Amino acid sequence: MTKVIAITGKGGTGKTAITSLLIRHLTRTDKLVLAIDADPDTNLPETLGCETVKTVGDMKQFMQDERDNFPPDINKQSIFESKIYEILEEMSNYDLIVMGRPEGSGCYCYVNNLLRGIMDKVVKNYDVVILDTEAGLEHFSRKIIRDVDDLIVVTDGSRRGLRTAERIRELTEELETNIRNIYVVANKVTDANKEEIERTAKDLDLELIGTVPMDSMIAERDLKGLPLFDLPDESVAVQEVGKIAEKLGL
Amino acid sequence: MAEEYPFEISPMFEGERIRKDGMFVELSGPKSKGYELVRATPMDEIEDGKFTLIGPDLSEMEEGSRYPFAMIYKIAGELVEEDLESIVERRNHDFQNYIQGLMHLNQRYDVWIRVSKDAVGKGLTSFEPIAQAVMMLFKNELPFIEKVEAVYVTDLAEIEKEMDNVKAIYKSRDDRTRDLHDEDVDTFYGCSLCQSFAPSNVCVITPDRISLCGAINWFDGRAAAKVDPEGPQFAIPKGDVVDAESGEYSGVNEIAKSLSSGEYDRIKLHSFFEYPHTSCGCFEVVGFYIPEVDGIGWVDRDYAGTAPNGLPFSTMAGQTGGGKQVAGFLGVGINYFRSPKFIQSDGGWDRVVWMPKHLKDRVLSDIPADIADKVATEEDAPDLDSLRSFLTDKGHPIVERWEAEEEPEAEEEVQEEATFAAPAMMQAAMPMQGMPMMMPPSSGTGGVKIILKNAKVSIDKVIIQKKE
Repeated sequence: MTKVIAITGKGGTGKTAITSLLIRHLTRTDKLVLAIDADPDTNLPETLGCETVKTVGDMKQFMQDERDNFPPDINKQSIFESKIYEILEEMSNYDLIVMGRPEGSGCYCYVNNLLRGIMDKVVKNYDVVILDTEAGLEHFSRKIIRDVDDLIVVTDGSRRGLRTAERIRELTEELETNIRNIYVVANKVTDANKEEIERTAKDLDLELIGTVPMDSMIAERDLKGLPLFDLPDESVAVQEVGKIAEKLGL
Repeated sequence: MAEEYPFEISPMFEGERIRKDGMFVELSGPKSKGYELVRATPMDEIEDGKFTLIGPDLSEMEEGSRYPFAMIYKIAGELVEEDLESIVERRNHDFQNYIQGLMHLNQRYDVWIRVSKDAVGKGLTSFEPIAQAVMMLFKNELPFIEKVEAVYVTDLAEIEKEMDNVKAIYKSRDDRTRDLHDEDVDTFYGCSLCQSFAPSNVCVITPDRISLCGAINWFDGRAAAKVDPEGPQFAIPKGDVVDAESGEYSGVNEIAKSLSSGEYDRIKLHSFFEYPHTSCGCFEVVGFYIPEVDGIGWVDRDYAGTAPNGLPFSTMAGQTGGGKQVAGFLGVGINYFRSPKFIQSDGGWDRVVWMPKHLKDRVLSDIPADIADKVATEEDAPDLDSLRSFLTDKGHPIVERWEAEEEPEAEEEVQEEATFAAPAMMQAAMPMQGMPMMMPPSSGTGGVKIILKNAKVSIDKVIIQKKE
């Protein structure tokens, strides 16, 4: 059974950093991982140290633009599937799919419907799927990914960040995607705000499963634009994400 | 059967992905060349079960490399005919994916295959058992195939040599396929993807009518309905022909009733004015009646300007969309312009007077030659006056209609006051003149009185119906 974990949160909270560290952790186990960057402001590939050019969005556009030029009785799902495999980046221990740009004008119902069928098939090939997704959860509303085991909302120390988590929980209730569990991970936590975060989370009835401390190694790499994927084991953030993975049963 | 082959064969291996790390070799695909082809062949030219390989075999290939790859299957049987080739060819994809350790993607000259290290480790050292397994499956699953022979090619020169011939075969097949029309089939397809926002929309997809969004043709409907008959695309038995010219079928009328929850009970597939197809909201192009010239204009989603009636796409789409059946407006997919039955019940291309230039250019080769330069674009006619003179100058067939209507109309013209029972059609045809003739909710007291002063009205057809 494939375990699907989605990571979301308001911009700037470090959800992509947490995503990369979780992928980093998993690739050091024997699990086969599919990473999906579902944030239109794509930066997961960069933090993973991987360069991708083509996205699912590009392929959806290709299907739209070329549809009248295909042979009339050709199986479009099979063309699209092959195109998705073409843009699926094969790294040494994991694969990466970038959702990419938003849809153009016109109707994407059919293409999205094909994509759902393809993703259902692709996802089954992996032990774990990790999705980095924007707070609006747009890809969920399109049901491109139908079932999510754990939704992790990453928040910074602010009350506003935790409020976002609360709003996302409300939003998920309206979605047709099945989400089994919702957890919160606080990022960039200091000794000064740790207790306050824990208390606020409790007040809002949010399950806090990790507090990732401020990590000077991450700050330094961010500044230099270096990938977080090859952070050393000593990194405090790496260690905390390891514990979170354990709690998620990974 | 598993004992004969060095691999397992089962539909459960479909969807098995072979990653770069786990692959022994990659065959054909986006970075190499190849194709798959099924040919109907005379019975006596086939040696049943024979396999020929041109080029190196699997055992001679280097691990982690990429090779060109072509698969040719010759099939014979009393019932085998050319038209079955593509259906049989499509099954190669399924059958190769049934083989554990083999991944087959795409079709024709875009095929992309990977053989896994695991499969090779378990004793797959030649292409022969793969070809034998596929031939066995062909004969088991498609019993009309009595004899089958396979030729696999891994030699680049041989593949390149044949490529032009192979493409010519695909092309002639496509030409035959394009020649399929509504009258040649007994099943149409419906699609309910739009019903979430257009609940009364009835999307009917036929060989001569693509879906309004332009994404789903009859073959796509057939493929999807076969895989999942309960899914968003489903079969519509055509039923009896009520009227072939306008495209009215009893099966379509029945599905219209159930899909629209009783809102509509008649749909004429190739009609613009009478019981036209419903319009969802996804349509690529909206057609609009221009009463001043008695013609039909079309404007597409990508055209930012206004049509000669002063309205942009978005406004007209708003009036038409939502799953309504609106006489005088019609949403269509661009490919419908290529249909030989294009609004044939209302004059077809002879009735078309205006389209944005980029849309016209896109479908130019499908516009009948004698009308092509008579259809105005925004460059020829940005408004109604210039449209009228353009049509007159070019001798558009619509001008004859004006002349034919001139005489009886002359009498009406002098009338100071004319009273009409508001016809449903005028409501749709005339909102562009700033005279919204909205019918008040029926109170049972019988209609509404509309007074037109100094108006010149030309009406092609008035339909007054009791609302059921």
